[in-house]
Amino acid sequence: MDKPVNNRAWFLVLPVLALVAFSAILPLMTVVNYSLQDTFGNNQFFWAGLEWFEEVIHSDRIRAALGRQIIFSATILAIEIPLGIFIALNMPKKGVWASFCLVVMALPLLIPWNVVGTIWQVFGRVDIGLLGYTLTKLGVSYNYVNDPVAAWITIIVMDVWHWTSLVALLCYAGLQSIPDAYYQAARIDQASRWKVFRYIELPKMQGVLLIAVLLRFMDSFMIYTEPFVLTGGGPGNATTFLSIDLVKMAVGQFDLGPAAAFSLIYFLVILLISFVFYTVMTKEGEAL
Amino acid sequence: MRRSISIGFALAGLLWLGVLAWLTTRVPMRDEARDWTGSLDPGGWMAWTFPAALFFTIIAGLLILFTWAAIRFPETPRRGVLGITTTRGDRLFISLLGSAFICLTWLGVMGTPVWGGLAVALAYAAAVFRWV
Repeated sequence: MDKPVNNRAWFLVLPVLALVAFSAILPLMTVVNYSLQDTFGNNQFFWAGLEWFEEVIHSDRIRAALGRQIIFSATILAIEIPLGIFIALNMPKKGVWASFCLVVMALPLLIPWNVVGTIWQVFGRVDIGLLGYTLTKLGVSYNYVNDPVAAWITIIVMDVWHWTSLVALLCYAGLQSIPDAYYQAARIDQASRWKVFRYIELPKMQGVLLIAVLLRFMDSFMIYTEPFVLTGGGPGNATTFLSIDLVKMAVGQFDLGPAAAFSLIYFLVILLISFVFYTVMTKEGEAL
Repeated sequence: MRRSISIGFALAGLLWLGVLAWLTTRVPMRDEARDWTGSLDPGGWMAWTFPAALFFTIIAGLLILFTWAAIRFPETPRRGVLGITTTRGDRLFISLLGSAFICLTWLGVMGTPVWGGLAVALAYAAAVFRWV
């Protein structure tokens, strides 16, 4: 006997579809339209074809920003993911301390991006900032305003401070969902701590880790507010990431055509890398 | 139920053809010839032109076609040369995403026009549907 299928429930998706259309699809279509034309304002457009895409692809400035962006995202992922897992593994599983740790871990996530930038901007200042002043007094050459290395370190530490909690909390949720029976079986088999982590905890965290990596990658690849508030993209262009460069192009220079082409390529790169991450991690999940 | 779905998709197909025809009529004239890259809505904030509209119409058509195919000819996901399990929709996504990068690479290396890139992208899409 055939099981009846009622596809009318799909109509319930229509409101979401309408929302997505207005908030994402129509703006994306507009960006595509702008990327193929030139404008001097007043809604007057002139066909430019693929000229802006060619310009963006051959732009040394954008290539440099892309390079900085990739280095930044790779660095923070390499720090935040292992650190988040480590913190989650060491957080208390139950009791008052568990609640306390959860609240403390959640605090950085509640602070708006621009406030985080301002906090670190003041914190790192060599004249009044606790970090900058202390390091200077200790004889360490640190000034994020004119030293690119100091600016990079400050931005990376700031991002780690802000977002490692997210990874830790997601991993903690994954760890909490592992039934005790798994640990009991591991104890019976006299499994080492490493083997418990490798064969029980890590596979069980696969789902939340995938979400954590994707969220952190996409967010770090699009980072704008924190470095903009902290360094403004400087010193020079040392911390000018893709989104800062894009905003300079679109709003500062009003080059809507090249900015639209730039943002489409930017979008495609994020889509590609996210797809690769998702595919690789789900494939590994199936293999485990 | 199946009949009503088929009728629904047939209507969607007709609507798609209607949109395509309507877009063609909107192409402005210049020097007594059609200006295929001219503005479809002069002064409009979305700045539509025929090539961009055609691009989105084709994407919409593909989505309608693949949705219909998924209902009319249900499939079992398969594992291809990449070792990942894919459905027809996944393969369409991989084809479109890869095609975008093929055309961008062509543009970066060979410059305009990108017809050669498009041909490579079509060959790539065929390979994806055959082997991925």
